[in-house]
Amino acid sequence: MLVKAPGGGVWPYAAERRAVQQSDATIERPANLAADAGSFLGIPYGWPLALAIVGLILVMWIAREPMHRIVRQTFFFLGYMFARWGSALLDHGRRAREVTNEKIASHRADELQDRMLMLEEKMGKRTEQLARETGPILKKLDKATHDLATSANAISDINLEDAAERAFRAALPSMETSRGLTKIEKNIAANTARTMNERLAPLRPALITIRSESPRLKEVAEKLVKIEHDFNKNASDVNKAFSEFEEIVRSEDRKMIAARASIVVPWLIAVLITAIALAGVFLNFFLIERPMAEIVGEGARIGGIGLPAFAAIIVIFLEFVTGVILMDAAGFTRLIPAFHAMSANGRRIMLIVSFSFLALFSVMEMTLSIVREQIIEQQQETRDLANRALLGPALAQPAPEAAAPAPVESATPQRDGANVFGLQLSTFAQLILAGIIPWLLAAAALPLETIIRNSVFIVSIFASFALIFLGFLSKTISSVFKNIGVFVLAIYDFIIFLPLFVQRRLLRRGRSDAGGGTAQEVSDDLVLNAPAPAKASRREKSRQPEQELEKAS
Amino acid sequence: MMRRLAALACGLSLSVLAGCGLVTSTNRSVFFVFDVSGTYVEAVPDATKLANITIAEMLPGDWVGASQISACSFSEKEIILQRQLPSTPSLAAEAKRGLFEEFNTYAGQVKSAKFTDIRGALAQASFELKQRPESERFIVLFSDMLADYGKSCDTSKIDLDLTGIHVIAANVIKSDPAHPEKYLAMLKEWEATIVAAGGKWSLVTSPDLLPKLVTGV
Repeated sequence: MLVKAPGGGVWPYAAERRAVQQSDATIERPANLAADAGSFLGIPYGWPLALAIVGLILVMWIAREPMHRIVRQTFFFLGYMFARWGSALLDHGRRAREVTNEKIASHRADELQDRMLMLEEKMGKRTEQLARETGPILKKLDKATHDLATSANAISDINLEDAAERAFRAALPSMETSRGLTKIEKNIAANTARTMNERLAPLRPALITIRSESPRLKEVAEKLVKIEHDFNKNASDVNKAFSEFEEIVRSEDRKMIAARASIVVPWLIAVLITAIALAGVFLNFFLIERPMAEIVGEGARIGGIGLPAFAAIIVIFLEFVTGVILMDAAGFTRLIPAFHAMSANGRRIMLIVSFSFLALFSVMEMTLSIVREQIIEQQQETRDLANRALLGPALAQPAPEAAAPAPVESATPQRDGANVFGLQLSTFAQLILAGIIPWLLAAAALPLETIIRNSVFIVSIFASFALIFLGFLSKTISSVFKNIGVFVLAIYDFIIFLPLFVQRRLLRRGRSDAGGGTAQEVSDDLVLNAPAPAKASRREKSRQPEQELEKAS
Repeated sequence: MMRRLAALACGLSLSVLAGCGLVTSTNRSVFFVFDVSGTYVEAVPDATKLANITIAEMLPGDWVGASQISACSFSEKEIILQRQLPSTPSLAAEAKRGLFEEFNTYAGQVKSAKFTDIRGALAQASFELKQRPESERFIVLFSDMLADYGKSCDTSKIDLDLTGIHVIAANVIKSDPAHPEKYLAMLKEWEATIVAAGGKWSLVTSPDLLPKLVTGV
């Protein structure tokens, strides 16, 4: 469109430009749009919208009572529901924890009972041994005491004064014949010495006996002290186990006693040992996987696993099961309940059978390790044959015999010898490994009992904590719903605050005119948390959701 | 005796598991095709060596077949050997050595042919492989890929069905070094033919790649 310019000229596209300018102005000032042509939910801006808002506020004021009820019932019902779930979950969680504690306490009591029985058995054996040990000791003691008594009697029978007098008297005849005093003195001394020597001669064996018997007596006494110490220690262990057992069985506070028994530490130790054993399994798998192809063949997959690998896994499982039976039959573990009811003879038979099977597995693995070496050698030779042909001269043009290099031939035997020795050593190492691993696998059954039992306890404890946590979460959600409900009601009343205010003023005036009512009664409608003036239904009363929510929060 | 019993027990349990659909075969069938026409006959000894290193890497239970490309290749007369390797490694190693000897003997006494019926040879190999139960199937072509059909046996128009077959062209000699574009165009043409027939095409230029491509190791 062409528009004439003030100077008489023509401005091309002036109308379009104006339209664009108008639209820009509208974008810059949205209030203009609202005032001119805008609408909100189909209601034009300006007085129609204001009227609609006022109308809405009035409708909301009129509908306040039922709307409040709807909001209360929606949010408070949800809050009540979550509060109930929370209570139930907390209850279940606490009960689960108690049951777990009971189980742990029972397990601990079982353990202590076993320990007491073991100590009792040990003490019984020790008592029998004690009788055998103390018999000879007491005999020795009796003999030593008797010898010492005899020696003491012999010593006490000797009267040294009498012996000296006799010696003097015996010396008298010779004194009479002698002339000099010196001679007399010498004679007396000699006679006294001789007589005393004769009298003390019977005492010497007694003294020797005392000297030899006293160290033996000391040794015997030490042995007796050691026996007494051992005996006292065993008795103390039994007493300690018994008192703990009594405490666990009879005490009211089983939870604390159960908490004293560590579940995690033995479990971690058992897991560590089993992990090491599993590393052995891994090694074993690679040792027997390839030779298993000689037994079961190749070319098939079972569930995505090659047949030799599958067979090797089965063999390892069988070895492990045999190990478990061996350990249970030997009484080291209590994994298989059937062994508890079995007679001692039956268990012995199972022990021998499982031991024999394990020995056979060991021999089988050793054989397989040799087969493995042979297979590897054969495959390598086959590859070498093909590769040598590829690298060698063409078939149509055989190389002359003289072309073979002499120095390489001379060096080859020495290298081959070294290789053979190395291969022999590696085969020997494989043999040892293959022989040992089944027994190590059997030993892995030892911590298995701890892992299984303690895992059950750990899972139970975690489950109880999870229930308690969920209960706490439900209670929190319940509280959130209740508060959202209260907030929505507050917003609702805020929107209609003007009619509410007017209503309050009018009511107050009316009541003051009537001369009755209190300020509290007048302002009831503005109180959110106060009990509803309407009479609650019997159903609502029986449920009492607010009380439940109060408890939950 | 013990081995037989173990094999019997294993076979029984495998048949039970196979009935449940848990057991699948990992074996492959490989068909080697040697071109004996024209000048390529001189390359057959090298080709058999490549076939040998491929066989050396094959697993127990795999199947091996071999035929040659001559004037009229779609014929049982052109089949050199067909053998399945035993399922145990030691016996498989012995069988592989036997195959080496057979290929060596064949390479020593191979006779040249006048025409090059490649499509006929592919049809023959495909026909043989379709009879096999193995899930993975390969045709290894040792040829210069230059087809030359005789009047009496023109298979250039026959339809090939190579569905589920991996065709590997190995040791493709460049017969005309002056025109590399012809060589590349010829390879592209063969690739299109194989793919159109439902097969998978590969070209092997290095000897060590062939066993890897066949065994997937």
